Formats: sequence, structure tokens, C-alpha cells
Amino acid sequence: MKNSLFSKRLTGTVAVLGTAALLVTGCTRADVGGSTSTATASPGITDTSLSLGISSPLSGPTAGPGSCSVAGLDSYLEAKNATGGFEFGDGKTRKVTLTHLDDAYDPAKALSNFKQLVNDGIFAYVGALGTPTNAAIMPVANQEKVPQVLLVTGATAFSSDQKANPWTMGLLPTYYDEGHTFGALLAGAGKPLTVAVLAQNDDYGTDYVKGLTDAIAGSPVKIVDKATYEPTDTTLDGQVTQLAASKADVLMSAVSVTPLQVGVLTKAQSLGWLPRIFLPSNTATPATILKPGNAGAYPAVYSTSLSKVPASPAFANDADVKAYNAAFAAYGSKIASVYTPHCAWSYAEGAILEQAFKGMKAPTRASFMEALKSIKGFHAPMLLSTAVVDTTKSDQPAISGLALVAYNGTGYAPVSKY
Amino acid sequence: MAYFIQLVVEGFATGSIYGALALAIVLVKRATGLVNFAQGAMAVLATFVAFGLTQAGVPLILAMAVAFAFAFAFGAGVERFVVRRFEGGDPDTAVVATIGLLVFITGVAALIWGYEPRQFPSLFPLQSIDIFGVFVSVRSLGTIIVLVVVMVLLQTLFRLTKLGLAMRAVADNPQSAALSGLPVSRLLMVGWGLAAILGTVAGVLVAPQLFISPGMLDFALVYALAAAILGGLDSPIGAVVAAWFIGVVENLAAAYIDVIGNDLKIIVPFLAMLIILIVRPEGLFGRKVVVRV
Amino acid sequence: MKIFLARPAVRIAIAAAFMVLFVVAPLVSTPFLNYQFSMIAVFAVALLGLNVVMGYAGQVSLGQSAFLGLGAYIAAYGVSHDWPISVVFVLSCVIPAAVGMLVALAAARLRGLALAMVTISLPIIGVPLAKRFPEFTGGSQGTTVSWLNAPGWSGLADDQWRYYVVFVIAAVLFVLGRNLVRGRIGRAFAIVKSNEAVALSMGISPYRYKVLAFTIASLFGGAAGFLYVAIVQYTSPETLSFATSINLVAAMVIGGSASILGTILGAAYYIVVPVLAGQVDSTRTALISGALLLAVLFLLPHGLVSLPRRIVQLVNGIRRRGRSTVIDPPGDNTARGTAVEPESQEQTQ
Repeated sequence: MKNSLFSKRLTGTVAVLGTAALLVTGCTRADVGGSTSTATASPGITDTSLSLGISSPLSGPTAGPGSCSVAGLDSYLEAKNATGGFEFGDGKTRKVTLTHLDDAYDPAKALSNFKQLVNDGIFAYVGALGTPTNAAIMPVANQEKVPQVLLVTGATAFSSDQKANPWTMGLLPTYYDEGHTFGALLAGAGKPLTVAVLAQNDDYGTDYVKGLTDAIAGSPVKIVDKATYEPTDTTLDGQVTQLAASKADVLMSAVSVTPLQVGVLTKAQSLGWLPRIFLPSNTATPATILKPGNAGAYPAVYSTSLSKVPASPAFANDADVKAYNAAFAAYGSKIASVYTPHCAWSYAEGAILEQAFKGMKAPTRASFMEALKSIKGFHAPMLLSTAVVDTTKSDQPAISGLALVAYNGTGYAPVSKY
Repeated sequence: MAYFIQLVVEGFATGSIYGALALAIVLVKRATGLVNFAQGAMAVLATFVAFGLTQAGVPLILAMAVAFAFAFAFGAGVERFVVRRFEGGDPDTAVVATIGLLVFITGVAALIWGYEPRQFPSLFPLQSIDIFGVFVSVRSLGTIIVLVVVMVLLQTLFRLTKLGLAMRAVADNPQSAALSGLPVSRLLMVGWGLAAILGTVAGVLVAPQLFISPGMLDFALVYALAAAILGGLDSPIGAVVAAWFIGVVENLAAAYIDVIGNDLKIIVPFLAMLIILIVRPEGLFGRKVVVRV
Repeated sequence: MKIFLARPAVRIAIAAAFMVLFVVAPLVSTPFLNYQFSMIAVFAVALLGLNVVMGYAGQVSLGQSAFLGLGAYIAAYGVSHDWPISVVFVLSCVIPAAVGMLVALAAARLRGLALAMVTISLPIIGVPLAKRFPEFTGGSQGTTVSWLNAPGWSGLADDQWRYYVVFVIAAVLFVLGRNLVRGRIGRAFAIVKSNEAVALSMGISPYRYKVLAFTIASLFGGAAGFLYVAIVQYTSPETLSFATSINLVAAMVIGGSASILGTILGAAYYIVVPVLAGQVDSTRTALISGALLLAVLFLLPHGLVSLPRRIVQLVNGIRRRGRSTVIDPPGDNTARGTAVEPESQEQTQ
């Protein structure tokens, strides 16, 4: 009896120590992460392939834009892969793959996804959608020298100080720019106008307001009332009622949620308040916002535009749009089922990446960043002709050149005066 | 003054959205003793069924009828095959089961229709009526009226019908209800089925304004729970009155109390709720629960 | 087998084995894996607090994320103002505990769902409050911090150092928690949970112990927030969200409520399942997570911690099928769903 007990204990202890010994002496920790040596290749790139990673919200309320941020890029990459691959500056042709993960707009999850992608050996992290999610990743990406670029967000934080965060860059013109463009239009009218502002209660909203405020500074245009809202609000009727009491000439409705924006349009007119309205670029689509909101009732509806609308009859014969539609039907539609402008923007992002690849002389992340930041005067497919890709400025995102447009009953047309 | 009344009217309209869902929660609680966290998701799924039918060209009323039938079957089925397992056991486990349902049903809806909000046809025309300087949308009026009708029906069901009495007996004491010869299983299923229909009524009423999407009622659920509990979990009238209270107080606080503004307006009804519950724990219209030791 | 496991020597050996595992693991794992392990420790602490108030004391709390978030904000603020780390840790524990105590003092007389509603209001109110005071919280953008870097003398990488710090703190908190629930206070909680009137008649004030339970839960929540900032190095209003509270409750039940081991299993579930769901199909995460949750609840209604017990029951059930027609003793829930063979009439022994 004693013998069997003793032998059991002995076996147990030996097993434990054995396992421990194996663990300690066996595998050493593989060094994952950015290698800064220029001679050896960075992770994620071989002579025939390059792997990219992205984490966007693929579930939850922002899943529509999030899925589009993946789908458009995926369409461009896969379509090009099918014709043989991308040409690189070092003479090789490689196929580019994209791994996508869902972070449901949660920063901790996004950070976990980023680490997982880096662990799995991606070359670069591109095109992710979301502001708090990318904010959580930015310090880690820069510390580990992993490119975190062409982010689908208009927040200024990602592009405004590229000397401090050299591995991070945004894709889209900033919300500040949009507000500023609109403010410039108002200031240019030369008469005293009153403005009511409805803005989301976070940096999206404050950036818009700051842009507007800066642009109208010193002009007879004045902001007479402000209201904020949360994206989780059920309706903005209360806010619109409050603003309507000011009887302002102009309403800037910096609302990023489709149903709420439609509600704003219907509510204001139902109260008999018909100001001129400004809508942000991602909640201004005629089919989903203006028609349901009966925007025709307003004297003018302005917005900024960056990209061509694939479903619009105005672009039916456009070569870009045809290529986009074909690629999206073949690849992107598996990821995103409903169109948002982010689909077109991420498609253009694919073309920008292609430019960067062409300039990449060495198979390293450093060379990639250098090539990416040297693009000037490039017109990416699906972007309007007013939009230009210029990555050389260290305080601007990749795309600039917002076109100010006004609704003409069926679509948008450029406008330059109030 | 017109401004004040306008805000109050809007508060009633917003509150009606919460109230409709709150009624479904009250029904489930009264009939089966559980709080169903998936109530909103189940309502949205059935509303999506109506949506899918209207997309295929079916007239709205017919699509709604089919959706109601689906909701009843779905609700009864969920009770029988999923929730039944957890009734009578640890209540926390039952609640988490409904949370699991919430996530799963949302995933199913997203699988079929995607996450992006879509337009849903409205039962009521999109006009506003001018009543002495106050603009009320026909849709809001319609929602409030339907809500009141449903509330009265529910109250009648519980107080005056045999079915209501049987359901309350089953929720109160399933064993002695069974011993009295009541078909417990069937009554539980009916309770969930009816609640699912109620939820679908809420879904169909609010979808035109909120735009249908899998997460459409997620945030409204929190308000609906608050309204149901504030009203006294067993009272349909209480739930609706509490929901209106929440909607109106929120709007007024946002407009008149500058310190609070739009972003903190949500604090006011919840704080008010805390105070009311401390003073009157059974809620505004609830019955005092006495437990024999 | 049970007797083998009950032997103190065997228990010590197993514990030692795990200790070695915990100590050695970060040295051989990738930074990503260390991140996952560390996050499990973080949420295990948060779940422990939730378990104390909900599992052991039986009071529904749907607001644990508010304390997690509050602790995280305090830690982020203190660290970015270069306060000594020990001071930051104490504050991350004490301030949320104080808030929890105040809320409990007001609300602990409420029953069941009214109390639940009060706890729900905490994250609901917390999120806009966090956005309203950007000087303290960084607003909706959140705050990034950079601290707890590995000191030179240790020769470790940052993620390994942080893993050890978090694990040591979590282990200490777990030992404290375990002693608490197994001691006098834990027994008082159990009585309050089962029948408040009985508790009162025994001289145990349900009100006082509920307040105590909430205070402890908030303390652990705040500590978990500190640990969260140690690993993620970022916090934002999303940390406080109501959805996190709901997921924490689900994780607690999945792991096994009123169980220390269940808490750890629940934390592992909370961290690992989203990653797994993403691996299967990143566009269908809700569907997969929901289905998994329901499946686990169906098979193991008492949580993952009841898995060994369940297997034993299944095995016994199968074994018993071949024996006499002895009526199963009460309480022996032979698993539903196993094939029911006709009872054998033979007496086998």
C-alpha cells in the first residue's frame, strides 16, 4: 500500500518536473515583430506574396461601414491578384492577401486583433475603421514599427503629427476639413447668417464644429445654437425642436447615423423650419437619406463628396465604376451586403497601396512606408477628380480635396457659392 | 409655452417606443416569471420577416399578419425548446440563457439581412398636424393610440379573462397550477407567444422611424426594462406610464437644464427612478410582494 | 480518483505544477499569447468581484463594468500624472469601492429586479459622464498611457513583465477572495442569498451584508480596471459600456457562479471565445458566440466548472443502465438526452 502511494507521488513529481524542464529548455520564444534591419525582409512578405491585416467592426451598429472598409479593399486586391498580382519596386510580382477580423468597435478587442495579426505575421495593418479602436492600437503599432496606415476615419489624431507617429496615417480627409469647407462657403457669402449646429458627442462632432468655427471666424456668420446627441439615441426630435426655436438660416447636421439623419430632415420640416442644411459626406446619399427624408423641401442641401456613387445613373458608363462593380460582385459582396461610401473609399485605398508597392525597392516595412509617403498628385479610381492623393505632407491624411456639392433633386452637383 | 408643449408631446412619442417593448417584457414576466433580455431581438426578427415580405411585394398589412403569426410560433417555440430547460432553476442562468438568445438571434438576423439600417414602410403617412401651434406627427399619434389600445387589451387579459388568470397562476406557482389541472406547458408557450406578438407590434411601429437593423431595439430595451421595473413589473399601465415619464423627463431636462444638456439627459430619468424605487420599492403601480417565511 | 485528488500531497503537487506553468509560460509564449493570458487574469479579477455579489450573495449586478471602467480611468489618470504606482493601485481599488458602497447604501433595500435596474443605470450614466469630462478621462477619444515597461535588470520583454505583475496581483486578490468566501462572511452571504428572513432571525443583517458584498465587488472591479490599463495601456468610455456588464454576467454563469475555479474558467471563456469565433468566420461572430453560449448552458447549466461532475454522472448513468432496477437516488440527475435502455431485470453485483 505504502509502495503504491509512494510510487504515485514519485510519478507525479517526476511528471511535473519533466514538463517544466521541457518547457524551459525546449522551445525558445520566437522573436515576432518588426525587424528593423534593412537587409532581411520584414515578416509577411515573400518573393511571391505579401500579407495584409485589418480589424474593423463587422458586427454591431457600425458593421455596415466596417464591412465596407474590408469589402472594397478586398475587391481591389483580389481582382488584381486574379490578373497576376501586384508589381513591386524590387522587380517582383506578388499576390497580396488580406486577413480580416471583427472588433465590434471595442478598443480592447481591436488591440487583441492587432496583436493576433502581428503574431500571425502580417506585413502591414491597413484600412481599419474606427477612432477609439485605432487610437488604442497607434502606440503599439509605432512601438513595434508595424505600419498602421490608410485608416478609414476622419479623425485628425491619426494624421496630424506623423513625426510623432511615423508608422500611422489616415486615409480620409478629416472631419475638421469638412466642417471648414462648409464654413468657408458660408463666410464667402458675405452676409450675416445664423447657424444651428447638431453634432455627435465625441471627436467626430467636435472636429466638425471646430472646422466650421475656424472658417467663419471674423465673418458675419454666427453660430446661434448648438445641440449634441449620442449615436445610441433613439431619435433626435428633441434636439431638432430645440434648434428650430432659434430659427437659424443654416443647419449643420453632423450626424453619422443614417436613421437619425433621416429623422432630422423629416422633423425640421414638420416643424415648419426650412434652413439650408449641411450633411457630412457619409450620411448624404440620396437613396438612403435624402429621398426618405424628403430633402427636396429644403432650399438647399449641401455636402462634401469624395467618391463616385456606383449605383448612380450619372456614373453608369464610367470605366472606374464598371471595374468596381465587377470586382465587388465577385469578391466584396461576400463581406458587405449593403453599400456605404466606405466601399468606394476602401477600393481607392487598394489603388493607393498599389502605388506604394510600385515604389517599394526593398522587401521591408521601412521601404514600404517610404514609398507610401512619396505619392503625389495621384488620382485613385472611384474618387472624384477633385480628390487628390498626396501623402507627402506630415500633418495631412492621404486624400485631400473635398468637393462641395449641392443636391439638385436627383443627385449632387458641384457648387461654389452660397 | 408652445415650445414646452412640443417637447412634452415629443417625450410622449419617444416614450411610446419604449412603452411598446416594455409591455412585452411585462407580459413575459407576468406569464412565466422571467425577464426576457432577448425580447427586443425576437421582435426585430419578426419585424424583419415583415420587411422581407414587403420587399417581395407583399402588402404591408398582410406582411404584418404573417409576421405576427411567425412571432407567436417563434416565441412559443423558444419557450418550449430553449427557455423551458432553465425555468425553475437558478434565475441567473435563465437570464443568461436569454442573453445568449439575444446574441444568437441578432446573429441570425444579421446573417440574412446584414447590419446596415434599412427603410421600413410606415403604417401611417408622414405628415404632421398643427394643433394650436404644436406640431404632432401622424405617426407619433398613431403609435401612442396603438400603444394605449394594446395596454388596455393586456390589462383586460390579466384582470378579466380566464386565460389571464390561468397564466398568472402558472407564473405564481407552477406546481399547484399543474395540480389544479391547468395545462402548464401550453400556458407558458402561449404567454411567450403573445409577448412575442406584442414585441413585434412594437417593432413594426418603430421600424419606420428607427430603420430596421438587427440592433434596432438594443438600446430601447434598456429603457423598456427601466420603464417596466419603474412601473411595477406586473402592471401594463405602469409600464406605459413609466415609459412616458421617462421620455418626457429626458426631453425637458435636456432642453431646460443647461448643465445637463443633451449628453447627460439620460441621467435624469434613471436618477428619478432610483429615488422613486427607494421610496416605493414595488414601483409606481406594482403590488407589494409579501413572502411568507 | 476522487480520493486520489483529495490527498493533500497530490493537491500540492498539482498546485506546484500550475505554479511552474504560470511562471514559465510567458517566457516561451508569443507576446500575443501573453496578452491573452494577462487579459484572462484581468477579467478573472473583475468576475471574482461579480461572483462575490451575484454568485455568493445572490444580488443581481449588471453594473460591474462601471467599476472596471472607473478603476481604469483612475489608473490612467494617475499614471499619466506620474503618481507612484502603489498609490494609483490603492486609489483604483478604494474609489470604486467607495462609489459602490454609496450606491449600495441607497439601493440595497431593493429587491431583485429593482436592484438590477439600479445597477444597470451605473454604466448607462457612466458613459456620458466619461465623455463630459475630457480633462480627466480623455473624452470619447480615450486616454493612452505608457507605463509598466520592463526594467532593465529583469531582462524581460514588456509583455512578460506586465504578465508577471498582473498575475501576482491577481493571485493575491484571488487568495483574499477565496478566504473571504470560505470564511464567516462568505457563510453569511450564503444565508442572505437563500433566505433573508432567516438571516434576519439569526442576527445577520441582510442590508449590511448586501452593502458589504457590493463594496467588495466594486473593489475587485476597480482593481481589475487597474490591471486592464496595465495590459491594454488604453481606456475609453467603451470600457464602461453596458454590453461589457452583460457579457461579464454571462461569463460568470458560463464559468460557474459561486465557484472560485468557475471564475477563472469564465474569464477564459470571455477572452478566448471571441478569438475562436473570429477564427471560424469573422463576419459571423455574433451567430457563433450566441450559439456557443446556448450550447454550453444547455449541456452544463451549472457552468463549465461542473464538467467533471457531469462526466461522472454520465459515466455512472451508463454504468447503472446495466445493473438492477434500483431507483436512482434523488438528486442524481442522470443526463437527459442519453439513450434510455430498457431497465434490466437482472441483479448483477
